[in-house]
Amino acid sequence: MSGDDNTARFERIVQPHLGDAYALARWITGDRADAEDVVQEACLRAFRAIGGYAGGNTRAWMLTIVRNTAYTWLARNRSAVVMAVDDLVSIESANAGQAATSASGRYDANPEAELIAKADAARLEAAIKALPPQFRDTLVLRDIQGLDYREIAAVTEVPVGTVMSRLARARQRLIEAIAADDR
Amino acid sequence: MTVDTHDNDDQAALLVHAYVDGELDPASAIAIEQRIASEPALAVERARVEALRRALREGLPQEPAPAAMREKVRRAVGPTRQRAQPTWMALAASLALAIFASSTGTWYAMQPGSGGSVPDAVIAGHLRALMAPQPADVASSDRHTVKPWFSGRIPLAPRVVDLVQDGFPLVGGRVDVVNRTPVPSLVYSRREHLISLTAVPNAVGNRASQTVQGYNMIAWTADGMTYWAVSDLNLEELEMFARLFRAAPS
Repeated sequence: MSGDDNTARFERIVQPHLGDAYALARWITGDRADAEDVVQEACLRAFRAIGGYAGGNTRAWMLTIVRNTAYTWLARNRSAVVMAVDDLVSIESANAGQAATSASGRYDANPEAELIAKADAARLEAAIKALPPQFRDTLVLRDIQGLDYREIAAVTEVPVGTVMSRLARARQRLIEAIAADDR
Repeated sequence: MTVDTHDNDDQAALLVHAYVDGELDPASAIAIEQRIASEPALAVERARVEALRRALREGLPQEPAPAAMREKVRRAVGPTRQRAQPTWMALAASLALAIFASSTGTWYAMQPGSGGSVPDAVIAGHLRALMAPQPADVASSDRHTVKPWFSGRIPLAPRVVDLVQDGFPLVGGRVDVVNRTPVPSLVYSRREHLISLTAVPNAVGNRASQTVQGYNMIAWTADGMTYWAVSDLNLEELEMFARLFRAAPS
């Protein structure tokens, strides 16, 4: 009967998030077929773990598994894509002072806001794909999938403060990319 | 979160993002609002972030998970091998199948040749409702709220009667799927028990009461529809419910 219990739990806990799972896997792998493989593997992992699932936020739980599965999958199949942690740290510290400069650099930037709002899907997608992985994941989880900071912190396994700074950097990079395209 | 809003410009920019995301506690939100009002650079940052969020929300089409992927997941993890069907119907059917496989099979025999029999689907709908946070999609004890809710969602609105005087208050209504057709289900309660009453088009004639895996089922035909009442309530009271429902003026 415990197999049936787990099946019922899986249907209740995991099934509702397959859409989000697929979307996140697609952003991380950049490929539909790969995303399908990742989600299937993540579902098997979730199914094996579901007996010990202690409750709480089901979406954050599932997306954590999807994200970890996706990176394991990438490391196995396309090791060059995964960015070394050293690179990321240097990006994060290099960007530390950038928020203020980019915000205070131009005061006449409201036309820019209009331009950003009208950016088309292809341009946005290309700009998101060009982000460093950890920045991209944070942005996708917040601005596309609508998780709050604490959920994102749980999924990406970093403190909320790091979520805040990654999100701000990711958005600033997107804004710059879109503005640069238009010049 | 509470953050010192008078740190430095970099920190202020982060707070603008958190403010736009609704992540600041009221005091910090007010503090950053005041700074946005007095510092044009922060106002610009806010306008950009809001514009970007709007673009991401409206400009990027959400792509649903492919049906083939869902099917593969179900085959890998689900309890039974199912033919391709719309996702949650298959879920309902597989649940019902699991129950019926372990029951005597009497009910199955009563529906010769039909892949997903009506009682299967009715019980599955009831079980799904018990598992869901709410057993009804429209929660109301007022039949004048519940009945109109169905119109616009399904072609046939069910008969909704008020049985609160008889100890069967209306809980609400939901739409179930039986044989790939959306059908109305009413939810009544009796003490802590829930009763699902599902109205399926096509009369199949009256049925004797049955017990399947601890759930009691009663079916009757009226106005060209078959009404299926299912509950873990004892059979005697469920039969009383059926009698009262049939006798009540609509």
